[in-house]
Amino acid sequence: MCIRFAAIIVLATAGLPAQDAPLDTHSSIKINLAPDSPVTLLTANVGESRATARGAALVLDLHMGLVLRNSSPNRVRGVTLRVVAQEVALGGKASVAVPSLNVGPGEAFPVRIDVQLMRPTQTASGPLVQVDLDGVLFQDLSFYGPNRLNSRRSLTAWELEAQRDRQHFKNVLASTGADGLRREMLESLARQAERPRLDVRVARGGRSVSAAAVAPLERTAEFAFLKFPDAPVEPVEGWAQLTGNEARAPRIEVKNTSGKPVRYVELGWIVRDQKGQQFLAASLPASDPDLYLPPGKTGRVLQDTSLRFSHDGEPVAVQGMAGFVSQVEFADGKVWVPNRQNLQNAMLLKVLAPSAEEQRLSDLYRKKGLNALVEELKKF
Amino acid sequence: MKHPSEAMLALEAGGDLGMFARWRVGRHLARCERCRLEADAFRSLREIAPELREIPEISWNRLASEMKANIRLGLEAGRCVRPGDETDLDPAPRFFGARALIAVASVFALMVTGLMLEHPAPNLAAARQEGVVVQRLAGGIQVRGGGQALRLLHGNARDVYFSVGAQGSLRARYVDPDTGYVTINNVYAE
Repeated sequence: MCIRFAAIIVLATAGLPAQDAPLDTHSSIKINLAPDSPVTLLTANVGESRATARGAALVLDLHMGLVLRNSSPNRVRGVTLRVVAQEVALGGKASVAVPSLNVGPGEAFPVRIDVQLMRPTQTASGPLVQVDLDGVLFQDLSFYGPNRLNSRRSLTAWELEAQRDRQHFKNVLASTGADGLRREMLESLARQAERPRLDVRVARGGRSVSAAAVAPLERTAEFAFLKFPDAPVEPVEGWAQLTGNEARAPRIEVKNTSGKPVRYVELGWIVRDQKGQQFLAASLPASDPDLYLPPGKTGRVLQDTSLRFSHDGEPVAVQGMAGFVSQVEFADGKVWVPNRQNLQNAMLLKVLAPSAEEQRLSDLYRKKGLNALVEELKKF
Repeated sequence: MKHPSEAMLALEAGGDLGMFARWRVGRHLARCERCRLEADAFRSLREIAPELREIPEISWNRLASEMKANIRLGLEAGRCVRPGDETDLDPAPRFFGARALIAVASVFALMVTGLMLEHPAPNLAAARQEGVVVQRLAGGIQVRGGGQALRLLHGNARDVYFSVGAQGSLRARYVDPDTGYVTINNVYAE
């Protein structure tokens, strides 16, 4: 009798653990690297991946620890991996990039990817997530990869910023010694800690419900511009529609003041709240993938999106806006980024995040000290 | 004046009240500033913490079937331990007993409640109006649309810099505590 009773209890409770089950990672994740890829997969640890039922939805946690090897004869400076989830988020996609690398031929480097998918419980055939190589940037700024996500431009811009900032810190070390470099690092860390942060939610191809309800209150606001003397593109005029803490449909007219045709322009977008506090709201890239701006000509940078701003949980009512040119790509593939002097502007110093390289170097200083930082700078 | 409970105000803020309760609470909020402010606070909390909307939901159908199974199990267990039952092979008279009737009624009530609570009622109009959204969550960034979401997580990395692309992209940049490399996660709505 007792055995029968125990068997019934075991059978009755057997269904409960089905809410949270490990995934078959080999069929769930597919990692694609072309046969001629300059980086090869050394190991892939895809353990701890799980599927959890939440009501009518299924949450899939996929954790990947990849080790890639540079099988090319050049030093690798950056890598972008494209992450594509089947049937998820209306074609939404993602990528994981690792800039500021310094990986020599034959050397290996790790990349960690943690993905979570939420979707209806219906199962789909095929892998849940595919990871492809989108691009590899080498020391000489040459590039390999399908470049579906414009990784060439992004990796090149990050590398130029890295070269700029490493040179800056090397100059500080050379001119003011270790104490000067220490002061510079402490100032950088203080700026990073004090930088005001804005929460921005972006909706593409639509607008927030709250804003739709108060559309009659919408107003057109004009951008003010911060101009850099050496920028190859100059902003001329620009507007966006504002409603409370929401801005939408930004459009800016720019002029190519350089002697070379331009195929991509990106502006930084700063907003000011009622208290006069300024925040970096977003970057504003040209929407036209076929943009071609010959020397002396003007073009428009515009986006059909709405951005909603909040800070510390409170909506930020936008009172004013400013813009500056933050990135330009010429038709020949060369990229321009602002120099350190451009960024010394008081307003920009307060709102801009450090470059990826400055973030890496200051993190190294914080964790391992000044000597480790000096040794790191010597490697480049 | 009798004020609605906090739970009612929270449900009202999320638009999750039934028709009659919504009317009743709405009528109260029109007259009571204190409750109105409280409901507004719940509303803004939902705005700043969208992940709260994604707290694990209960699968009511699963719960109903599990409870039904447990009640059956209870009845079975009752039969097992009742003295002298070993020789009683005819369950028919007890099945129609008062306790069994209450159990069956409870199961029925639970199933009806589960059906009412679970019925998927996504606000399709709002979703359509909002399009595909990229946003920051605690521990990650996500692109979502049509009830589905793709997230990239940065776990417990400190000093994460978020940057938004007005074309519909969101970036999280951090120094990976395990690898020591700067890692840049991106999600794209386009």
